[in-house]
Amino acid sequence: MATLNLNAITKSFGAAQVLHDISLAIEDKEFVVFVGPSGCGKSTLLRIIAGLEEATSGAIVIDGQDVSDEHPVDRGISMVFQSYALYPHLSVYENIAFPLRVQKLGKADLDRRVQRAAEILQLTDKLHLKPGQLSGGQRQRVAIGRSIVREPKVFLFDEPLSNLDAALRGDMRVELSQLHGSLDATMVYVTHDQVEAMTMADRIVVLNGGRVEQFGTPMELYHHPANKFVAAFIGQPNMNFVPATVLGADQAGLTVELSGGHRMTLPVEPGSARAGDKVEVGIRPEHVTVAPEGMEISVRVLERLGGVSITYGETADGTRFCASLPGDAPIREGEPLTLSVAPRDCHVFQANGDVLRRQSAPEMTA
Amino acid sequence: MMDRYTKLQTLGIYAAITVFLIFMLLPFFEMFMASLRPLDHLFRSPYQFWSEDFSFQAYSDMWDTVPLLGRYIFNSVFIAFAVTLLTMIFVVPAAYAYARLEFPFKNGSLAIFLGVNMFTGAVLLIPLYRVLRTMGLLNTYWAMIVPGVAFLIPTGIWLLRSYLEKIPRELEEAAFVDGASRMYTLRRVVLPLAVPGLIVVSTAVFIGAYAQQFLFAITFNQQRELQPLPAGLFEFIGYQDVTWNQMMAAALVGVLPVMVIFLFLQKYLVAGLTAGAVKE
Repeated sequence: MATLNLNAITKSFGAAQVLHDISLAIEDKEFVVFVGPSGCGKSTLLRIIAGLEEATSGAIVIDGQDVSDEHPVDRGISMVFQSYALYPHLSVYENIAFPLRVQKLGKADLDRRVQRAAEILQLTDKLHLKPGQLSGGQRQRVAIGRSIVREPKVFLFDEPLSNLDAALRGDMRVELSQLHGSLDATMVYVTHDQVEAMTMADRIVVLNGGRVEQFGTPMELYHHPANKFVAAFIGQPNMNFVPATVLGADQAGLTVELSGGHRMTLPVEPGSARAGDKVEVGIRPEHVTVAPEGMEISVRVLERLGGVSITYGETADGTRFCASLPGDAPIREGEPLTLSVAPRDCHVFQANGDVLRRQSAPEMTA
Repeated sequence: MMDRYTKLQTLGIYAAITVFLIFMLLPFFEMFMASLRPLDHLFRSPYQFWSEDFSFQAYSDMWDTVPLLGRYIFNSVFIAFAVTLLTMIFVVPAAYAYARLEFPFKNGSLAIFLGVNMFTGAVLLIPLYRVLRTMGLLNTYWAMIVPGVAFLIPTGIWLLRSYLEKIPRELEEAAFVDGASRMYTLRRVVLPLAVPGLIVVSTAVFIGAYAQQFLFAITFNQQRELQPLPAGLFEFIGYQDVTWNQMMAAALVGVLPVMVIFLFLQKYLVAGLTAGAVKE
């Protein structure tokens, strides 16, 4: 059992406040990913949970106990660093054994636990080597080995895959997910890579400017982004935002006129939107199709990836628009293209960035 | 590797190095030549670069002229080693504190340390004499060791601090998260990684200790048995004449053990100065 609660955490460095009143409830055995752009405070938040930084106010509660003033070890956490932070002068064995040496664990017990961690991470035949003799992926495993050998309640990962090349990152993602399954532990993982967040997380915390924008499952974030920031951050390629004017609101939803002149009725709860309001319609590139009528764009750049063709273009008024179309779609750079999107796939954002709740959400499979 | 210099530039560089080296090494060479000459040869005019009667005679005579010569050489090395050891004991924790901890007046005190370095020992000789006399340390080894240590600590802190700062902070944070105390981290993580830096700093301190002992020795010590070599060399200056050739021979022999040590340490010195290589 290890629940992790953050109660109204704030953090200031001098006059600069980097975290604003962050409260989160992370459940036992959950894999939670903090994601956000550089400087959003995600690493600072993780370091506060670890006990490497002190929160200016607020409390860290693990398993119902306030551990805000306790040492990292007494909190029952362990941490994997971005640069792995392996001790270059010690062998892999001694690196993994380090936390146990600090605890002054008996020789037999220590050896048993190091060997077990090495087995889980397939490092058994590398134990005598120095970190410098290992590949990036192996070093990462040693760092993870050092964190699991102490059997902590909560694992913290600070961008652990950002130093690996793309192929290895994919492999390690799968390994980490499997590790989470086999260890049954609560994990908090920081990354700026939304693909890592989407693929590994049970729930994602999207941070921006020191505030939580949204906390939810990956599919919640994808289908029901709380605001424009989350909508833009989640999904690859990024969501398109087309300026629009509200023409009217009724039971069926919101009728809008897109900047190009195309009119649509979108099934969203109108909320406070009134006729004449300026809004933005969010359209994911993967939701558009080539159609005889709809919005007109002129194609600027075409990336044919085989399975899909990513098409970058502009509408008549210069709004950038990206579409993810079938690989064999008959498109050419420089030519006009007519695209259509199902109204139920559209998101509507008010001028302040907040979303208007969609009436018909796709099935939520968390 | 790419040839970055043209032939002419290479020639120029070597010419400059040659001039520099001649300037640096010519005194040593002349010392060696003087040690080989018979005494009457030294004042003969015109200057003779080489003659038949050159010999290593001075190298054996000097032990008779100054019977305590061996003792002086030992004292020199002993004092320098003691100063180095004591200095490092103070410098290591201090440099670590300056590199990693936050405390009031940190930058101010560092600046003061640098300021202290700008005084030569000579300016402070009289106050130091009074201090040492009050403490009853005059005419002991301590009279030469204590001021030596005091003057070398600032240099040591400045050198080692910048080296320790290059050790990735994450390594210490990792150890901290795993429950290690500051001292444990210093002992098991930081110092093993700082070995090249420690060697560089102790070498610099040793050279400093070797060079400065003359001043302290002639001021604070009257005991012949405790004198280091530079002070002991005075005994070659007799009432009638100065046995220059033997003095030169003794100076060379005295420096020899130190030079041998540095020959072996050379690779660490180079490695240390190009450091930062600890991070993967």
